[in-house]
Amino acid sequence: MFRVLCVPRPESLTGIVGWGAYIPRQRVKADEIASLWGFEKTLPKALWIEEKAVASVDEDTVTMGWYAAKVAIERGNVDPELVGAVFVGTESKPYAVKPSATIIADALGISKKKLSTDMEFACRAGGEGIRLAIALVASGTIKYGLAIGSDTAQASPGDVLELTASSGAAAYLVGPASESVAQFEGVVTYVTDTPDFWRREGSKYPSHGEIFTGEPAYFHHIMTAVKMLFDELSLKPSDFDYAVFHQPNGKFPLQVGKKLGFPKEKILPGIVTPWIGNTYNGSALIGLARVLEQAKPGDRILVATFGSGAGSDAFSIIVKDGIEERAGRGPKVEDLLKRKKYVSYAQYAKSRRLYIRNIG
Amino acid sequence: MEVTKVYVVNSALVKIDRHFSKGYKELANEVISEVISKSGIESVDLVVVSNMFSDCILDQLDISTILMQNLGMTKVRALRVETGESSGLAALETAWMAIESGAAENVLVIGVEKVTEYPTYKINKMYGKVLDYEVEFIRNITPPDYAALVMKAYLKKFGLKREDLISWPVKMHDNASRNAYAQLSFRISPEKVFTSMVISDPIHLLDTFPLGDGAAALLLTSSKAVRNTATEPVIVAHVDSAVSTQFHLREDLTRLPATAALASRLKEKFGNKVLTEAAIELHDSYSIYAYIILEELGLAERGKAREIVDKLEFVNVSGGLKARGHPFGATGVYQIAELYKLMTEGFAGKKFDGEYAIAHSMSGPDYNARVALLQKLV
Repeated sequence: MFRVLCVPRPESLTGIVGWGAYIPRQRVKADEIASLWGFEKTLPKALWIEEKAVASVDEDTVTMGWYAAKVAIERGNVDPELVGAVFVGTESKPYAVKPSATIIADALGISKKKLSTDMEFACRAGGEGIRLAIALVASGTIKYGLAIGSDTAQASPGDVLELTASSGAAAYLVGPASESVAQFEGVVTYVTDTPDFWRREGSKYPSHGEIFTGEPAYFHHIMTAVKMLFDELSLKPSDFDYAVFHQPNGKFPLQVGKKLGFPKEKILPGIVTPWIGNTYNGSALIGLARVLEQAKPGDRILVATFGSGAGSDAFSIIVKDGIEERAGRGPKVEDLLKRKKYVSYAQYAKSRRLYIRNIG
Repeated sequence: MEVTKVYVVNSALVKIDRHFSKGYKELANEVISEVISKSGIESVDLVVVSNMFSDCILDQLDISTILMQNLGMTKVRALRVETGESSGLAALETAWMAIESGAAENVLVIGVEKVTEYPTYKINKMYGKVLDYEVEFIRNITPPDYAALVMKAYLKKFGLKREDLISWPVKMHDNASRNAYAQLSFRISPEKVFTSMVISDPIHLLDTFPLGDGAAALLLTSSKAVRNTATEPVIVAHVDSAVSTQFHLREDLTRLPATAALASRLKEKFGNKVLTEAAIELHDSYSIYAYIILEELGLAERGKAREIVDKLEFVNVSGGLKARGHPFGATGVYQIAELYKLMTEGFAGKKFDGEYAIAHSMSGPDYNARVALLQKLV
């Protein structure tokens, strides 16, 4: 106890300097997918999924991640030369071998003297990227670190996953607490070997263990990570103004929040999945961006990521002065949610390359 | 030589659930140690294991041997029985015959099923194999499809509407809410039945059972061995089974031929009162079957079973397959385990003081049916 009082947690030396998100313009309605495959009509409503964002033929993990990162750097008003690490959390990198992070970093003019890597942990690698950036900044190894979560998620046509698997990205520029508008108070990660969702080498689409992805995976890991965070920081749900969770659908984050003791009102501001689908590594991070863009100085935000396999990172973040001004420096999630164009299932299938055809 | 009587002297069961952290061995071991430890019986000379899916889901043949090896019970006789969904009562039937014939004195009956290792579509596919693979399965006919046809025929024959047949699942969930071992121990409203997902029109999700893992065990003894028991014995007065006609050869789809044959044989042997006054656990894999089984057992007139559902006090006290759950090969053993407790210490908030209890089990649309008659020791 004495040590905890006297030595600040290293996370608290760091904060969010800038952030950005990207959501493709195209949307396909969940009802259309459900009707095509003969799913029960009530299923989209039961999962709370209305429509999902569809990356077009010229959008991928790199382009979306680049845009989100560009906005993050612009929001932070930071010289890209001072960014010492770029991490891209994704499970849909355009190249199986060749980093996405290097493409994004060079396109942004980020220093060549840097750490740069792609990370894979289903939907939570982006969250771990933030943790690594925090550690590097807190230790003085780098001044700024960029963590990106970006995905064009795959789902086998006709799998229930197809209702939600979508595309999007979010990026966070982590830097010294003094320059940040949202300071990290504490971070805890909980990881186990839990095979709830996987895609084997060479498989085009992932497999999942149905209800096994729920209780023993999503709920167990998020709840454990959050409770560990509560313990370490001596906090409780009522100390938080917002709670943002990974959102594979609209229903799960509300359920896990309720189990942890959060009222719906604290969870709803961070919910984006019902209107854009599950953006995988972007999911909780786009939710956090939406919350940062409406939060007030002094607010405390809980963020809990989740990645199948499985693990969760729980962050406690305290919003600081200047948040509104910094939010105004770039397009907001709210704007991206409104920027949309509906496409048919056929156009979605074309965009996501679900048709097999001869080229050339 | 006088024929020995057969007694159930103890039963044990685990809550039916998606036991993600337990394998079939752990589930079986739990009930085996419980059923033996409290019985006063020191050794068994035959073990009958009921399991429906081990070869196709667990990739395990000869599950009885593997289970016994795992327990260190290497000198005992052990075998597995499988008769589709009624396997549990087939295991009881085997044990009952062994004791009655004098071939065994103390028999351990185990029902165990572990189905949550794979996605639902795989389990449903395996489940379809209780029908004729070469005739029905390859034509994509599965048990819920037959239940849907039976329900349609029943509604047509008796001039009923679909919403006339929603009392059964509501009642089962209510019963299960008092059963600590039930998989779905929550109540539901009639509207919920009707608005739940359609499985095979007009069968809805809440007309049928959930997928779950379970294990139950019984200890049976002969007249000679029953003197050594520390627990209250109940007589297994009769076990019977029958094979039915194929679905496509049936003249009346609203009848269950094997169940009907068993009911009339029971009546002949023990009188009508046995059926009307017994506590019953019946095989309601689809709620339409529950109504028809009540009629076949003579508890209601044809087409009128729905009128008596609310008045049934000791029928499916467990919540039935619908809400207690249906861990396939273990289900029949659950039924006997529950009835034994209901007749002795009490079960699911009730105690039955009548003389007889009946377990009814069947596979698919009554492709085979089995009944067991338990009798209180007076």
